[in-house]
Amino acid sequence: MLLSPGQRILRAVAAWAVVMLFAFPIYYWVTVSIKLDREIFSIPPKVFSFETSAKSYEEVFGISLGFEQGLSVLPGGGDFYMTPRLWDSIVIAVCSTALAIVIATLAAYALSRMRFRGQHHFVFWILSTRMMPPVAVAIPMFFIYRDFGLLDTYHGVILIHALMNMPLAVLLLKSFFDDIPKEIDEAALIDGASRFLVFRKLVLPMAMGGIAATAVLCFIFSWTEFLFVLTLTQTGLKTVPVVSSTFVTSTGTAWGNMAALGTAAILPAFIFILLVQKNLVRGLTLGSVKQ
Amino acid sequence: MASVEYENVGKSFGPVRVMENISFTIADHRFVVLLGPSGCGKTTLLRMTAGLESIAEGEIRIGGERMNQVHPRDRDIAMVFQNYALYPTLKVYDNIAFSLQVRKHSKVEIRKQVEWAAELLNLSPYLDRYPKELSGGQRQRVAMGRALVRHPQVFLFDEPLSNLDAKLRGQMRYEIRRLHDRLQTTTIYVTHDQIEAMTMADDIVVMRDGNIEQIGTPEEIYDRPANCFVADFIGSPSINFLRGEVRGDGGVPAFQSGSVALPLPANNAAAPGQAVICGIRPVDVSVAAEGDVRAEVVLVESTGAESHVLLSVDGQELRAVVQGRYRAKPGEVCALKINPAALHLFDATNEQRIG
Ligand SMILES: Nc1ncnc2c1ncn2[C@@H]1O[C@H](COP(=O)(O)OP(=O)(O)OP(=O)(O)O)[C@@H](O)[C@H]1O
Ligand SMILES: [Mg+2]
Repeated sequence: MLLSPGQRILRAVAAWAVVMLFAFPIYYWVTVSIKLDREIFSIPPKVFSFETSAKSYEEVFGISLGFEQGLSVLPGGGDFYMTPRLWDSIVIAVCSTALAIVIATLAAYALSRMRFRGQHHFVFWILSTRMMPPVAVAIPMFFIYRDFGLLDTYHGVILIHALMNMPLAVLLLKSFFDDIPKEIDEAALIDGASRFLVFRKLVLPMAMGGIAATAVLCFIFSWTEFLFVLTLTQTGLKTVPVVSSTFVTSTGTAWGNMAALGTAAILPAFIFILLVQKNLVRGLTLGSVKQ
Repeated sequence: MASVEYENVGKSFGPVRVMENISFTIADHRFVVLLGPSGCGKTTLLRMTAGLESIAEGEIRIGGERMNQVHPRDRDIAMVFQNYALYPTLKVYDNIAFSLQVRKHSKVEIRKQVEWAAELLNLSPYLDRYPKELSGGQRQRVAMGRALVRHPQVFLFDEPLSNLDAKLRGQMRYEIRRLHDRLQTTTIYVTHDQIEAMTMADDIVVMRDGNIEQIGTPEEIYDRPANCFVADFIGSPSINFLRGEVRGDGGVPAFQSGSVALPLPANNAAAPGQAVICGIRPVDVSVAAEGDVRAEVVLVESTGAESHVLLSVDGQELRAVVQGRYRAKPGEVCALKINPAALHLFDATNEQRIG
């Protein structure tokens, strides 16, 4: 499409406006994490010029960043010390995403390629498992987890997050596999390949984009999930969303610390998405079949 | 190499019946074309032969062995798909080599085979490319190469040329046929293009709605079509049909349709008074200064070398092919000569050939 210079400027301005609109809350959240407590709620809000302080980060991560000489640093292990919690979050999000993706990819491929009686109902049934509100499942899950000794364990939380992600992942991946012509599988089968070889060598590389997209969704779900971590863990581990809520206390809310943790929590998710996004390209099946 | 036999093969997709009682035999080394309009079951029959569709009714034998329960990889067939179904993440070399790699042939042997096929198909410069970097014709040849290196008992081709432009199609037609003459591998070739069928086939199997309408060599099918459908499907421009009846008066049997009267061979099998459809190929109609039939010109189309003239005879349409240029205005009246030896008579009720 050819645009006149005026139109081009207008388009750039509009694009920047939209980006700003979405980026501003994040920016403001970051500024809160480096503001002095008394300036967080000052009216009018201080958006660009304010006194900075690393205090919130120092407390949350139990380290001295040395920006503010003479400031007392809370000792590690204090109430505000959150480094292990960030680590918990990363382990759980990565492992549950990996587990969900491995199982869902295999299931989706089978559902996309194999025909069996009642297949349509089966797909619907998978989806229906996500129709019940999680709250309704949380309490029964607590008892099941207690009896199986899964309470307060990494694998317990990883399992429930993977389970929650599975239905959507299966459906999403199935649609990606459906887009890959089944003649490719058939040609390879005639050529002498086994089903698994077809899957591993031909179909999987073509589905990489879909798998990456699905992985991002699973990761973000696990990264932000609150309810199940709250009910199924006690002291052994806690993820960032749950510990964030502990900054809200009866004597006040530690806004600066909460913002510091939140800011730090954006990073791993951001890095994960950055890593998989190079796979988020369409058109991997280009050239296989005539259009 | 092997023969392929079909015996009472039928097929349903759920409640939909798509094939009925297919029985025929393809002898060793033959190049057989399955010809029929879209949706008549050609692909389905080919897929059943390849083992991609179950054979619930009847039996398919390759080289005398029953194939119903045999896995596709053990049937020793190679198939070229209607869409080529190349492996997009593999280079051309690996696309062609895939079946040999899977079957654990030695590297040296694989290289030899791939280079042989690439040479044969003029693909040598492209072995390092990905399928998306090839033109349609090159992709088609990669699909062929993938089949060739297998040296299978039977080749199955599903409309491999349908997506190429007319010129390339003509060239590939010739090359595929030449390849067959060299390799002598039994080939089943599916198409809905009657020109491909006529030019390439040893035998043509004409299908309609999951039934076989006629089996024969191209000459047999063209010269003695078994029914109106086959007559209409083969030949371009397509055959003219005139409805009328057989007159026996005066000892000389004749076909009568309105003012058109055409003498029939004395030994024809039609009974006097029988309602018939008379098929006349456009090349057997010539426009002359004077002739048996008067007609009005409706339209003239020139293809360069010849002209196709659409005529109206007593309200029935008739096409004629005239060599060279034919200049006439719509509405002009002319006379026609029809070669009486080239008439095809079909029964008007069941459309089957008479005699
Ligand atoms: N998987 C399927 N489920 C239901 N019906 C099918 C299926 N595959 C094919 N059919 C039907 O079977 C009939 C034959 O299909 P087929 O693909 O064999 O036709 P074809 O002769 O190859 O046509 P074309 O020239 O268009 O490729 C069609 O009516 C089609 O609708
Ligand atoms: Mg077809």
